[in-house]
Amino acid sequence: MDAFETLVEATISRWHGIEPPNDPARRLASELAGTIEAFEALRGTLAFEDEPSSFEAALQATKEGAR
Amino acid sequence: MTGLADLSLTRAADAVASGEATSVDLLRACWANLDAVNPRVNAVIWQEREAAETAARVADAAVRDKQKLGLLHGVPMAHKDMYYQAGKLSTCGSALRKDFRPAITATVIARLAAAGAYTFAGLNMAEFAQNPTGHNKTFGNCHNPWNLPYITGGSSSGSGASVAARFNYMALGSDTGGSIRLPASACGVSGLKPTQTRVSRYGAMPLSFSHDNVGPLARTARDCARILTVIAGHDPRDPTSAREPVPSYEAAMDDDLRGLRIGVPTNVFLDGADEPVIAAMEAALLVLIARGATVSRFELPLMDAVAAYGGIVSRAEAAPIHAEWMRSDPQAYGAHISGRMYPGYAIPAAYYIEALSRRGPVLKAFAAEVFSKADVLVTPTIRTCLPTLDETDIDHGPPGTEHRFMAVSANTRPFNYLGLPAISVPCGFDPNGCPIGLQIAGRPFGEGRVLQVAGAYQADTGWHQERPPILGAVA
Repeated sequence: MDAFETLVEATISRWHGIEPPNDPARRLASELAGTIEAFEALRGTLAFEDEPSSFEAALQATKEGAR
Repeated sequence: MTGLADLSLTRAADAVASGEATSVDLLRACWANLDAVNPRVNAVIWQEREAAETAARVADAAVRDKQKLGLLHGVPMAHKDMYYQAGKLSTCGSALRKDFRPAITATVIARLAAAGAYTFAGLNMAEFAQNPTGHNKTFGNCHNPWNLPYITGGSSSGSGASVAARFNYMALGSDTGGSIRLPASACGVSGLKPTQTRVSRYGAMPLSFSHDNVGPLARTARDCARILTVIAGHDPRDPTSAREPVPSYEAAMDDDLRGLRIGVPTNVFLDGADEPVIAAMEAALLVLIARGATVSRFELPLMDAVAAYGGIVSRAEAAPIHAEWMRSDPQAYGAHISGRMYPGYAIPAAYYIEALSRRGPVLKAFAAEVFSKADVLVTPTIRTCLPTLDETDIDHGPPGTEHRFMAVSANTRPFNYLGLPAISVPCGFDPNGCPIGLQIAGRPFGEGRVLQVAGAYQADTGWHQERPPILGAVA
């Protein structure tokens, strides 16, 4: 188990009191490294948002028939 | 009247209303198939036949008495076993809820009942609606009625399999990452994920409150249109449900596609796609072109953001729902369920909030670019030929099985983060005799357009009328 996997398991155990239930859990937890990389790739695309974000408002703004 | 179980939902409802058939006739036709085939398919996990027969007789009496009838009068139904009915079993597909009897009734169940339908069974599903395959360690795997060793798709596995096997005319599913569209595709039926917020989720088992959707699986797009007309609309008991007016979706299905602009993504959705699946989609496009549509192919924007953000929302939201059981009884879950939930506990709050706060801006940017070029998007629902249950069995398979497992939902998950309506309709068969699905996605609250395109396609094709060979000569 590498340092990242050890850190993830320790974090989940300490913060939630949950231990890895099986080998697939350990394997899939190790893939969180890919999640971090995906977020890293998006850095620089975020703008400072002056207005509260609303997904429901976006649905209305982009709905069928909206102009 | 013969072949009653083969009727579409709209035809069955119209037959009862006109006196051409009785509700009792429909129920018995469905049960004949269920008794013959369910032992091999395992789509139905509990039944209430006596109560159903009583409901059918009451429905028939109402027809005889010339009472005002609802749109679904006298139609027997069975649903994914996660829609609460007060006092009735609702297992959520899990040993942890095998005896659970909720005190409330889901709004969608109440609305279907108000339209004249009744429920006679609970359907198999992925544990807590969390797999795209149909595996279930408590109630047994659900098997594809077209080819038993193959996956049904999930998580609404019993919903897809039961409608395909003519056990019922319609089943509710739920869709958090594709769980309506995947079993619709794999089982050769029609399944609609509405726009996020379009249908009330009150009384439906929660998985991810940002991505969960309630919708129908049925034989045809027209069936889905009628059901959506019944179940859509604001519900005070679900404050997240939209106040958008509900049209008659069925009335808008005019089959005229002149002027329709279809977009076909050139990125992501065909990556690693199997040739039979691509060929089926291309053939379907020709059908739509013959109806007057035009096709353009272009790259969809922001798909990296959609994948990254969408990938963590469901996991982060499912984690706290299951935290107590994950601490106290983790082995009660299938390994693929607890194993996939486990990383959710390590997702930082800042990532989750970033994913949620970017959802609106991403949708706006996506819609501005995509819907300036196309009215709907068309893709395969599942981009590969169907895998078997064994090939996707994380609990018993070798390391790496999880990648085959997750690939099943690669084409459906993006539309959950974006919140867009999408339907899957059958468009062919793979070399193993398993159905192939065509996914049609539209703008927010554009279910009418999506259903119109799907209905026009089904007006010129017969894939949705094919019946699994396992049914043999059963009526």
